[in-house]
Amino acid sequence: MDLSTMIPELFSALPLTLVITFTAMSVGFCLALIATTLRVRRVPVISQFVDLYVSYARSVPVVLQLFVAFYGLPLLVILFGFQDFITATMAAMVGLSLYHGGYLSEVMRPAYLAVERGQHDAADSLGYSFRQKMFRIVGPQAIHIGLPGYGNSIIYLIHNVALVMYIGAADVMATAHLIMERDYNQFQFETYLVLAVIYSLMCLIAWLIIRFFELRFAVHLSKEATSIPLKTAAFASV
Amino acid sequence: MLELKDIKLSYGSAQILNGVNLSVKRGDVVSIIGPSGTGKTTLLKCINYLARPASGTIAFDQIRMDYQRADKAAVQAIRLRTAMVFQQFNVFKNMTVIQNVMDPLVVVQRKSREEAHAIALQELERVGLSDKREHYPSQLSGGQLQRTGIARALAVRPDVILFDEPTSSLDPELVGEVLKVIKDVTSSGITSLLVTHEMQFAKNISNRIVFMDRGVVAADGSPTEIFDTPSSPRLAQFLSSELAFQ
Ligand SMILES: Nc1ncnc2c1ncn2[C@@H]1O[C@H](COP(=O)(O)OP(=O)(O)OP(=O)(O)O)[C@@H](O)[C@H]1O
Ligand SMILES: [Mg+2]
Repeated sequence: MDLSTMIPELFSALPLTLVITFTAMSVGFCLALIATTLRVRRVPVISQFVDLYVSYARSVPVVLQLFVAFYGLPLLVILFGFQDFITATMAAMVGLSLYHGGYLSEVMRPAYLAVERGQHDAADSLGYSFRQKMFRIVGPQAIHIGLPGYGNSIIYLIHNVALVMYIGAADVMATAHLIMERDYNQFQFETYLVLAVIYSLMCLIAWLIIRFFELRFAVHLSKEATSIPLKTAAFASV
Repeated sequence: MLELKDIKLSYGSAQILNGVNLSVKRGDVVSIIGPSGTGKTTLLKCINYLARPASGTIAFDQIRMDYQRADKAAVQAIRLRTAMVFQQFNVFKNMTVIQNVMDPLVVVQRKSREEAHAIALQELERVGLSDKREHYPSQLSGGQLQRTGIARALAVRPDVILFDEPTSSLDPELVGEVLKVIKDVTSSGITSLLVTHEMQFAKNISNRIVFMDRGVVAADGSPTEIFDTPSSPRLAQFLSSELAFQ
C-alpha cells in the first residue's frame, strides 16, 4: 500500500463522518432550542429535568455518552416492544446529538439572557407578541452574542465525532485504524497526518461559515467586529 | 381618561407602591416628581404592565382591568394606546433609526411599509433626525438615541405618552436638545406623563405636578401650588434639595 491508495480509502469514510456531524448539528440545534426555551421559562418539574439533561451532556465525557447511547438505546427500543435495530452509526448520531444539544443550550441560554431587559421592555410596551419580539428583536441580538460560542461548540462537535470509532462506527478515524492494521502498521505517521489535515479542513470550513454569519450579524451591533478582515482573522483563530 | 386606583406592588419583601391613586384627563401634561427609589418608574410601568402590581385597578377610557385578574386582551389594548420613552432609551440595537420607528407600525399595527415609512419620516423630521435615519444605534449619541425613542413612541400615535426620566442618562450638553423635543411634543396636546428630576422644566411644561414619596402620591396640584406653596415639609425639603442640586 502507499499513500495514493490510503488517501482515497480514508476519504471513502468521510461521508459517514459528515452525515454523523450534520445530524448531530441539526438535531442538537433543535434540542438546544427546546432546552433553552424550557430553561428560560422555568416550567416547574420539566425545567428541572432539562437542567439534569444539560448537566449530563456537559459533564459526562463524550466517549462515555457514546457508550451509554450504544448500550442504552437497544434496551430502550426493546422496552418499547421493537426488535433491536440500533446500529453503531445510529447510536453515534443519537449520542452526539444529545451531547451537542446540551452543550449548545449552555451557549444559547447566556446569549438570550445577555440581551438587555430594556429591549424586552421596549418591545412589550409597543405591543409586540412574544413571537414577534423573539424573531425581530431579541433573537437577532442573541444570535450576535451567541455566534462565537456556537462556533466553538461546532468545532468541539467535529472533534468528538472522532470518538465514534469506540462504539464501532466506521468513520474516518476507524477506517484509518483498519487500514493501518491491515497493512501491518506501515505509514502510521502519514495516515495520522492525513487525518489531521482532514479534521483541520473541516474545522476551518465550519469556522469560516460561522465567521461569515458573525460578520453579517455584526455590521451594526458592534463597530469593531467589522473591521477585522476575514482572512487575517481566520488564520489568527484556527 | 386614565385612572389608577389603589395600586400596590412589592418586589420581594420591599413594598414599592403602597396604594397609589392617579387620574389623568385628556390633554393633561402631568409631571411626576419625587425622591429616588419612591417608585415613579415602577408606577409608569404599571400602566403598560411592564411591572405587575399585586392589586389595584386601571381604567383607560373603556378599558378596565383589575390587576389581580390581569387579562391579556386588556393589557394589549392598553399597550396599543400608550407609548413609553425610557430612561435608558431602549432603542432596538439591531435596527437602524428608521427601522426602529417603522417596525412597530408594520409588525404590530400591520400598516403597509409605504405608510409606515411615510409616518417614520415625518416623526424623524419632528425630532430632527432625518439625516441620521440610516444609522445604527451604535453610531449615535445619547441625545440622538433618545430622540429616536421619542420618534418611535410618537409614530404609533398613542393616546398617552409615558416619559420615564428621558434626560437623566444624558450628558449635560445633550439634555437641551431632548427637552426641546419633549416640550414640542407635550405642547402639541398629546396627553403626557413625565417622570423627571428637571424641576424647572416640569414647572414650565406641566399643567399638573404629582409628588410621589414612599410609594404613595403625597401631593398633587398645579405647578404653582406645588412649587410655590408646598403643602408638606417633606415636599418643601425635596424641592429645596433638588433646586440646590441644579
Ligand atoms: N425589577 C425589580 N426588582 C426588584 N426591585 C426593583 C425592581 N425594579 C425596581 N426595584 C426597586 O424598586 C424601588 C423603586 O424603583 P423605581 O425605579 O420605581 O424608583 P424611581 O422612583 O423611579 O427612582 P429614580 O428616581 O431613582 O428613578 C427601588 O428601590 C428599586 O431598587
Ligand atoms: Mg426611575
